[in-house]
Amino acid sequence: MLIEKSSAWKEEFARRLNEDGPWDDWTLYKMAYEVVKDQLITDFSGLQAPKFLTNIQFLDYQIEAARTVIEKMNGKAILADEVGLGKTIEAGLILKEYILRGLVKKALILVPASLLTQWVDELNGKFFIPAIGCRKKNVPFEQYDFVVMSMDMAKRSPYREKIYEQDFDMIIIDEAHKLKNHKTQTYQFVQGIKKKFCLLLTATPIQNHIFEIFYLVSLLKPGHLGNVESFQSYFKKGKNGLAEDEYLKELVDQVMIRNRRQDTGIEWVGRNVQTIPIQFTEEEQKVYQMIQSLKERTSLFSNSFAMTTLLKEMCSSKEAAYLTLVKLKEKVQRQEEIDYIDEIIEKMSNLEINSKAEKTYEIIQKAKDKVIIFTEYRATQHYLQWYLYQKGIKSVLFNGKFSKNKRDWMRQLFRDYADVLIATESGGEGINLQFCHHVINFDLPWNPMKIEQRIGRVHRFGQEQDVYIYNLAIQNTIEDRILDLLTNKINVFEKVVGELDDILTNKVEERIYQSPNFVSNFDFEDYGLEGELGFT
Amino acid sequence: MLAEQIHDYLRTFFTVTGCEITEEAPDYLTVQLTADIDKRIMNRPFYWQFVESTKAEPNPLKVTFITKKHENQDIRGEYIHYGSMRMHQIFQATKDLGCFVQMYENMEGASLFPWVGANFKVSYHTDQTKEMLFSLGINLIHGSVKSNFQDWLIERTLTKEFPKNAYCLPYIVSPIRAIERLETAIENYIGHDDMTWAEEAEKRWRREQEILNHFYEGVIEKPEVYEIEKEALRERFQPRIKIEIVSGGIFYLK
Repeated sequence: MLIEKSSAWKEEFARRLNEDGPWDDWTLYKMAYEVVKDQLITDFSGLQAPKFLTNIQFLDYQIEAARTVIEKMNGKAILADEVGLGKTIEAGLILKEYILRGLVKKALILVPASLLTQWVDELNGKFFIPAIGCRKKNVPFEQYDFVVMSMDMAKRSPYREKIYEQDFDMIIIDEAHKLKNHKTQTYQFVQGIKKKFCLLLTATPIQNHIFEIFYLVSLLKPGHLGNVESFQSYFKKGKNGLAEDEYLKELVDQVMIRNRRQDTGIEWVGRNVQTIPIQFTEEEQKVYQMIQSLKERTSLFSNSFAMTTLLKEMCSSKEAAYLTLVKLKEKVQRQEEIDYIDEIIEKMSNLEINSKAEKTYEIIQKAKDKVIIFTEYRATQHYLQWYLYQKGIKSVLFNGKFSKNKRDWMRQLFRDYADVLIATESGGEGINLQFCHHVINFDLPWNPMKIEQRIGRVHRFGQEQDVYIYNLAIQNTIEDRILDLLTNKINVFEKVVGELDDILTNKVEERIYQSPNFVSNFDFEDYGLEGELGFT
Repeated sequence: MLAEQIHDYLRTFFTVTGCEITEEAPDYLTVQLTADIDKRIMNRPFYWQFVESTKAEPNPLKVTFITKKHENQDIRGEYIHYGSMRMHQIFQATKDLGCFVQMYENMEGASLFPWVGANFKVSYHTDQTKEMLFSLGINLIHGSVKSNFQDWLIERTLTKEFPKNAYCLPYIVSPIRAIERLETAIENYIGHDDMTWAEEAEKRWRREQEILNHFYEGVIEKPEVYEIEKEALRERFQPRIKIEIVSGGIFYLK
């Protein structure tokens, strides 16, 4: 057994004996003894931190999560609570406990830049952990014990090297689903950090593909899910689907905590989700079909991504598709191809009705309440604002790139003045809009977790009424396929991670995941490429 | 500690350390810090560095600590409570300033026996911790050891001043030797203590090492990451025991 004895006290005592003092005050001596006794950690298990943090009202499941991570998972875990249940609180509590127990002296917290200030404030103000935010070049962060840094900064030179040199006892990573791809610089950077105690925070440990959980867990605990080859051969075949899923879920549960709204013992307002099928008008259908036939008419669509994008855009608005078409036109050379594209453009500009927009107007009128519309395209966003304005509906625009000030301003405008907020991307971390109860997903992203994060803007703590979600999808178009894929992905998620709140309605009963062609059902979206290709 | 206890604690702490309490109510106290206490609890190293290098007149702070918050409070000050960073610093200052004592039992004309007392903090560490506090005393004439020494001490009236006409017997065991004897006593205690916790930790460690090895199975030249992970496992699970003396002193007792 390793025994560490400190001789510091003995040496100082000898010195003072030798020089006959100075001697300390008896009252302070007695007080000091009482302080040490009072703060003694008398048991291996149980939490010490809450008695220091009486300012925070911990919920039972948060305390339970912290205990499980410390006592059962030995300090390495994925915290995967649903959005809005307080993963940050759990992480802060765990960190505080380890600090009090003397097991963590230095910690590094890696977060998206937009959340840096919030983390620093919470650690300092709520947990009394003297953390500094490192956002400027010249902060000598090596000299501090608790450092919050944006992931983008940390992974670059010279910070990367400096971080490797430090001896951190604990690493916390927020929004850890960004580590799903093992080929990225970020992933490799995190892989190279020594992770003694480690927490990965994400509400969405699987977004698209079962491999994401493999890479996430392998970052935390390499080998826990086997190595790449064994995982691939075992789980990818999908022969005995169910048994394997359960086995995988069991393994994942050993390193992951996931609290769901309904397990929290708190009454949550209801979530009503409807998928609203829409028929194109004859004219719209014609343009859509012409775009579909582009594949045969030109050589440009050997690349199916571009085709998919264009079809998705057409399902959103002609404005969204128009720009892409014009760009395409510049690339083709043969006159007949140019003519064909011109014909599409002309037919398109003659379209007078956007069926989806009309449906949207109908929903807004029925709701008689504030509504948020999410779309993936800027062009659609602007079109909708114009369209609604014609109908006498005031709206404000919102997008994830707005500065904090502008976001707050837009939120206020929406609350006090406008009827509708039209957002391109929630960013998942933007604003909280509990005063609103209706969300229209004007078009659907490939990734179900994006929808969950959109819904999470309104369906969260503080929401007092039921929320209504409308997913618009045009029938007999690519949107049918997107719905199928979303359903599939949700199934994979639920099997491996756990149940999800409703995102879509009419879940497909037949589970494609189990079918032998499971793999081929997940082609390019599987690898998170849609983000890089502008599908998000 | 409750708000009242914190309040009493602060009053005693500042009084004993020579900081004048200029104003006090049940829910707050205002105190003029001394330079030493300012340096210890107020977190302003740059100011003190400046004073030292320019030889300027030091100007320690006057602070109001609010020990109980309620609505419609019109005093300005810093709210202080058990978990706050400031309280943590005051606890630390107490520990730093209450480390070494020399005390006499207050009895005129008595013959006093020399003792050495030491408070040991023993911590068992793996990925979890447990701490114990032992207060031991040893008689420097015949070498007998007493446990719960601190409790025994506070039942007596002790003074820092040498009592009138008292006689202190000279010690036979040297104080440093005595400390070493106490350390041996602690190690004996540990030697007989239940070490299941360490065995369990070793098991967890082995298990996690196997998992890690499995990840790199068949890889002939293991990458650096493997070594980093392996080291992290050692640091996390390797059982170790820390022995530390937190305070102690020499005592002359009847």
